[in-house]
Amino acid sequence: MMEPPSAPGKVDFSDPKFAIRRRARRLTDHGARWAIGMGGVSVIIAIMLIFLYLLTEVMPLFSGASMHREAYYAVPAEDGDGATALLAMEEQAEVGLRVTEKGNAVFFNTRTGDIIKQESVRIPEGRTVTSFASGTPTSGLFAFGLSDGSVVVLRHDYKITYPDDKRLITPLLKYPFGEDPLLVSQTGKSLANLTIRDGDTSLMLAGSTADGKLEVMRFKKEENFITEEIMLKPEPVELPSVSGEITSILIDIRQEWMFVGSGKQQLNVYNLRDPGGGLHSQIDLTDGTSVSTIDYLLGGISLLVGEDNGQVSQWFLVRDEANQWQLQKIRSFEKTADQVIQIETEQRRKGFAVAGNDGAVSIYNATAQRTVLTQQVTDSKIKRVAMSPRANALLVLDDKQQLGFWRVENEHPEISWSVLWGKVWYESYEEPDYVWQSSASSNDFEPKLSLMPLTFGTLKAAFYAMLLAAPLAICGAIFTAYFMAPTMRRKVKPVVELMEALPTVILGFLAGLWLAPFVEHNLPGIFSLLVLTPVAIVLMSFVWVQLPARIRLAVPDGWEAALLIPVIIVTAWFCLGMSETIEAAFFNGDMRTWLNLEMGIDFDQRNALIVGLAMGFAVIPTIFSIAEDAIFSVPKHLSNGSLALGATPWQTLMRVVLLTASPGIFSAVMIGFGRAVGETMIVLMATGNTPIMDWNIFEGMRTLAANIATEMPESEVGSTHFRVLFLAAFVLFMFTFVVNTVAEIVRQRLRIRYGSL
Amino acid sequence: MSELTREALTEKEAADTKGAPKKQEPKAHAMDMSALGRQSRRLDLANEEVCLEAKNLDLYYGKSQALKSINMVIPKKRVTAFIGPSGCGKSTLLRCFNRMNDLVDICRVEGEVLLDNSNIYEKGVDVADLRRRVGMVFQKPNPFPKSIYENVAYGLRIQGISQKRVLDETVEWALRGAALWNEVKDRLQENALGLSGGQQQRLVIARTIAVEPEVLLLDEPASALDPISTLKIEELINELKSKFTIAIVTHNMQQAARVSDYTAFMYIGDLVEFGSTDTLFTNPKQKATEDYITGRYG
Repeated sequence: MMEPPSAPGKVDFSDPKFAIRRRARRLTDHGARWAIGMGGVSVIIAIMLIFLYLLTEVMPLFSGASMHREAYYAVPAEDGDGATALLAMEEQAEVGLRVTEKGNAVFFNTRTGDIIKQESVRIPEGRTVTSFASGTPTSGLFAFGLSDGSVVVLRHDYKITYPDDKRLITPLLKYPFGEDPLLVSQTGKSLANLTIRDGDTSLMLAGSTADGKLEVMRFKKEENFITEEIMLKPEPVELPSVSGEITSILIDIRQEWMFVGSGKQQLNVYNLRDPGGGLHSQIDLTDGTSVSTIDYLLGGISLLVGEDNGQVSQWFLVRDEANQWQLQKIRSFEKTADQVIQIETEQRRKGFAVAGNDGAVSIYNATAQRTVLTQQVTDSKIKRVAMSPRANALLVLDDKQQLGFWRVENEHPEISWSVLWGKVWYESYEEPDYVWQSSASSNDFEPKLSLMPLTFGTLKAAFYAMLLAAPLAICGAIFTAYFMAPTMRRKVKPVVELMEALPTVILGFLAGLWLAPFVEHNLPGIFSLLVLTPVAIVLMSFVWVQLPARIRLAVPDGWEAALLIPVIIVTAWFCLGMSETIEAAFFNGDMRTWLNLEMGIDFDQRNALIVGLAMGFAVIPTIFSIAEDAIFSVPKHLSNGSLALGATPWQTLMRVVLLTASPGIFSAVMIGFGRAVGETMIVLMATGNTPIMDWNIFEGMRTLAANIATEMPESEVGSTHFRVLFLAAFVLFMFTFVVNTVAEIVRQRLRIRYGSL
Repeated sequence: MSELTREALTEKEAADTKGAPKKQEPKAHAMDMSALGRQSRRLDLANEEVCLEAKNLDLYYGKSQALKSINMVIPKKRVTAFIGPSGCGKSTLLRCFNRMNDLVDICRVEGEVLLDNSNIYEKGVDVADLRRRVGMVFQKPNPFPKSIYENVAYGLRIQGISQKRVLDETVEWALRGAALWNEVKDRLQENALGLSGGQQQRLVIARTIAVEPEVLLLDEPASALDPISTLKIEELINELKSKFTIAIVTHNMQQAARVSDYTAFMYIGDLVEFGSTDTLFTNPKQKATEDYITGRYG
């Protein structure tokens, strides 16, 4: 009937300018969609890149080793100079040394075999060489035993100069203890099985005579104050002889123990510090096979025993329950050959190479109990192998009198699954254990890279933080969202959320420097506070309900919580005030000591309690905020429906509101947990950073995050330690990734089940 | 009704009808009751048993008065409908009967509401138990995010009843009572949120009757539903009135006419007219009532 009223301006939508505007609008829409999509995708890409970067830094740890031959040439030698007694290389693996049994030392270019220098050991007239000994590869010492029972000690050394800016390595043969032979055998008999062990204060030389007697001489080093010359003062060590033919003699790094192999498989252990010089124990090293070679691993603590059947095992002295030292077999290594010809130890790591009788060399790592590489190096038999100090080159002398120079790529042999996550029996430890100790002062240190204590510490810190934070935050969220007056809620919620803005470094700083000593001095007060505060709150609530309605109604509905503030303050004042009295009355004046002496509980000042309080404080706002939102957003019509059915508010809360809010509360707790796991500054400052595995609340811990923060600056880029720190970061990343993913999946499930309408 | 109210009505009418003026002529009789398929019954409030009674009931939201001195009775085992324009206080009045208004902070009630001759606003009244006796169904279906079974059993469980046999029987009885049993008997353990809106509303009714209340308060129970679901709910109300006293708030006058025995017309906090539905719709005493039911405003 009626015409639709025309708009005042009479807009014509078919006008071309509207078409342009529509197109512009569509373009904006497209552009926005792309930009937002790109934003999301680039976040995912960024995370993937972090993941990949961590992976590329970590992967080399698990890639194996390789070796290839760079040169192969005839042994640099003169006619009739005798068999090779020692093969060695200098630091750069450019100059090799071959020492013959007749006392000839030949320095040669390892790539070509050209002789650089040749020198004969100066042996006094009338004596002949009867035996040879090499010291640890690191020391470069070697010695010749002479027919009169004396010994000439030498060292190969290298001088590096840069004429014309080119590196020139000049090999030297030195006599560190003088050219005069040192007399070892008191009877003047020639010595077999000669061994040499040099220390800071004394040099030890030992050998066995043809009639089976042990000749041991300790040379005390005395420095002349004027000339600063070192004088050697011989002190013979008397040791009882052993039955059976002596096959080898070894002295440990501290010159406390001597091991004498005799017969097929027996090892006689002597305690050199024992005034009686007695035989300490005798041990069978094998189950019937004969021992083919025994040598020290780097550090002079562990013995590597090679057997005739190709088995290699590691042994060291362990103190047993009766406080007695026992030589124990720690681990056996994978068998790669039928017979062990030589064990060549690395000079910087607890690794070694085993030359087998079938022309193959296997490289092992002792701590990791890992066979890093097995490589066929010759088609004939191997006579000797030598590892360069940096373990990046290998010289192989074969039966055809040819030398092969091999380049070895073996960056991270120390890492294996068992090292990272299993119990490992480290040198000088009484039993296998999880240990993190990445560095030490000495060079022959065995790195202990178990991630278990760190992962444990991370979980422990998160656990204690959550123990405090989760109940407080959730209960707070329930009260704030469900019971509190709206006006009070509008003040309380932002204040709690403001707590989240506190830099954690400040929290950590306060926790470490103020809270830790405060708690330590007021331990009974803190504990009574933890117990009495809830009691006081419940008591106050009870009293409040009993009060006449006149007083109760004076406080507006939902504001009752404010009444608890003075209660908590008074309780805190009371508890902390009573602290010293309680301590004096029940804990002999010092609860710390009492805990330690009476309960056997260790107490660290910076402990899990402090972390729980400080990190709990940091986590509370996160959990509170999300949980409060979840509870508050439960539709009113659901709670009304429940109340209208005759449910009390409490029943409604427990059966309907919390059920409906459960996905949100769950994700609040998980996000809080994720935050506690990744938190760095608080744990760094308040945990004490001791990587121990103990649930004791009074002991500290070291977390993955704090460990990365402390050790990354001091770790050498590209080293195993560096990459293990990246692995720790990777573990942390996976940890939060898995926690968040699981949380999200569970939350989705819950939301489908209990999500509100 | 005072002249004042009449004026107010006219003003309101003017305001409401500004946008799309209705050109209907007022009829002599407001509504043709027989067209609704309804048997005309001679009902008289004087012959009814009283279930709920409001006496001088005033209700304030903060400073503004939402109910003004309401005096009325809700007869037992009858359906009483509350009609009136938006904001007239009919839902508020309904909520007074089971004290759901207590949940509104700024709400203050004066006067009395008698349930079986005792004042429910008396001090010391167990509100939770009152609400069990006076159940309520809301406009929007609000099943809990639980299984169908647990929804119906909820009212029993909060009373501490947990014997499986009792629960099973009551659930079946309540679902049958709400005409939902045949539709859900094979999927009692499924989530109630999977039901359709109409089914959800009947489930909520089942949940409410499961605790055997004396009074059922229905706050626009069908306004969020499609016509077929609405019809089912209305049939259900007819079934239920043999067992329960029912008070229903509705915006839909036809619905009020179809389902109720008595109707109360409210306007801006006043109870304008209250009487048997037949009388109110066919022969309203007040001009305002007539204007409203003939669609002059609202």
